[in-house]
Amino acid sequence: MSDMNQKEPENIEVWEDLVHIKDLGLALLICGIFSLGGYFIAPNNTSDPLFYGLAGAVIGFIISSIVIKPKRSFEESGEEDK
Amino acid sequence: MDISLILQMILAAGIASVLYTLIGVAPGTDETAVLAPVTLVLVLTGFEPIVILTFFMAAIIAKKLTDSIPVAVAGIPGGVMSAPMVEHALVLKKHGMPDISIRKMASGSVIGTIIAIPITFILANGLARFSDIITQYTDPIFFFGAIFLALMARNKWVALVSIFPLALLIQGLRHLYWGVGIVPEGETVFISFFLGITIGPVILTLFELLNRDLRSKLNRYNTKTISVKSNWNIKGFPNPFRILTKNETITSSLTSVLGVITFFLSPVGMTILLGEVVSSKIKDPVKKAARAISSMDALTNAAYISGTLIPLIALGLPLSPTALGPAHALFNAPPVFTQDHNLHHILSMSEFLWATIIGAVIAILITYFVTVKYALQICRFVFKRIPHEAMLGLFFGLVLLLAFMDAGWLNIAGVLLIGLVAGVLNRLGVNYGVQFMTLYAAPFIVNNLF
Repeated sequence: MSDMNQKEPENIEVWEDLVHIKDLGLALLICGIFSLGGYFIAPNNTSDPLFYGLAGAVIGFIISSIVIKPKRSFEESGEEDK
Repeated sequence: MDISLILQMILAAGIASVLYTLIGVAPGTDETAVLAPVTLVLVLTGFEPIVILTFFMAAIIAKKLTDSIPVAVAGIPGGVMSAPMVEHALVLKKHGMPDISIRKMASGSVIGTIIAIPITFILANGLARFSDIITQYTDPIFFFGAIFLALMARNKWVALVSIFPLALLIQGLRHLYWGVGIVPEGETVFISFFLGITIGPVILTLFELLNRDLRSKLNRYNTKTISVKSNWNIKGFPNPFRILTKNETITSSLTSVLGVITFFLSPVGMTILLGEVVSSKIKDPVKKAARAISSMDALTNAAYISGTLIPLIALGLPLSPTALGPAHALFNAPPVFTQDHNLHHILSMSEFLWATIIGAVIAILITYFVTVKYALQICRFVFKRIPHEAMLGLFFGLVLLLAFMDAGWLNIAGVLLIGLVAGVLNRLGVNYGVQFMTLYAAPFIVNNLF
């Protein structure tokens, strides 16, 4: 996750956007563990496990968003062109 | 309806609008992948049916409003449905008018929504009279539906041929689960197979990443550069009818009506077709692009609303690409909703109307004004803060969860298998519509046809 521009290009395209293979693996692992983890720790009432699983998935998503840097560079220019 | 229920509906619509405003902006978010799992989980969690419908209506309207933002700002489609608009939006971007582009598209969306709702209800009412006859032939209808969608596809032969092996795979797994006893006989595994098809293309790519040779052959990129101009000229209270010219309003209204009537056809196909038809006569490139994107966005909104509501209100069977895809959980989410007991059977006409109106009004109030005013800020947040890896991780987590719930650990392998096959079929040109219709038709194809 250091400065990407210094290295060889190593991002690949999955579903219309760029990802780094290791980061993708990490995100799948984090989200997978939290979703199923939430499901298993939930008290065994009617729909609780699903709800905990969903919450786990969202937590996994938030953690992945913090840990992983998006592979996009967003440039803004203030001046008119043409 | 009591006050607390109405408050719940308003709250659900508000949450859906904010959530799908952000999701809509993220590139590559397929409508089915982002709408179906979340709706499914809400249904299974046991929310009031009318609250779920309100949530869904607000979600699709918000999503359709905002997926035009990255198209206008960066020329990147925010979803499958906005892909046909990229070409025209790039014309406006080249002329330095991404702000105009967003305003035209968002206004088109609003017009599409306003026109689609009344016509949808009228058409659904008319069709409801035939529902008894139609529902007697459910099974063959799904089979012929799959064949119809295959024939409408660009690669019709491969789509047609693939219906049978896919049906065999689906039924084969179901019988296997019954055979080894992880699912009680007669209980049909459905949700996780549906999700397996949805994320099929991603599963296939993930498998390819595990192969060293294929991995080394992949194109490598640095980062995706997205450049925008931050000089936005948006002031005051945006009025959709003032943003569009008279001609644009007329063609947007016209394409919306056509979008409603053709609810059973592919919305993407109709968008491409009608977008060309309404703009082909215009010479000036800027006017042509503005006319095309406003009409196309109106049509996609109208097609999504009618594609969800007409089958739901009139039949209770998912007989449109939208109903088979994003809106799927409203029709079939066992054990809560089944083909004989879903929103169609639970809600009355006035409840359908209220859910739609509350969902639409709140989504438009929140998302339309936010979209038109803060498009740049939203883009900056999503592009800089939300990694694509996390989005894929989230879908993957939800799929794992629902696969495990359906039939335990073995089913995770089952869903990977379905995803793998669906991904290959997708790459061969068999679209989601054909695959989802086959999922429905599978029992009929295997048990009755041979």
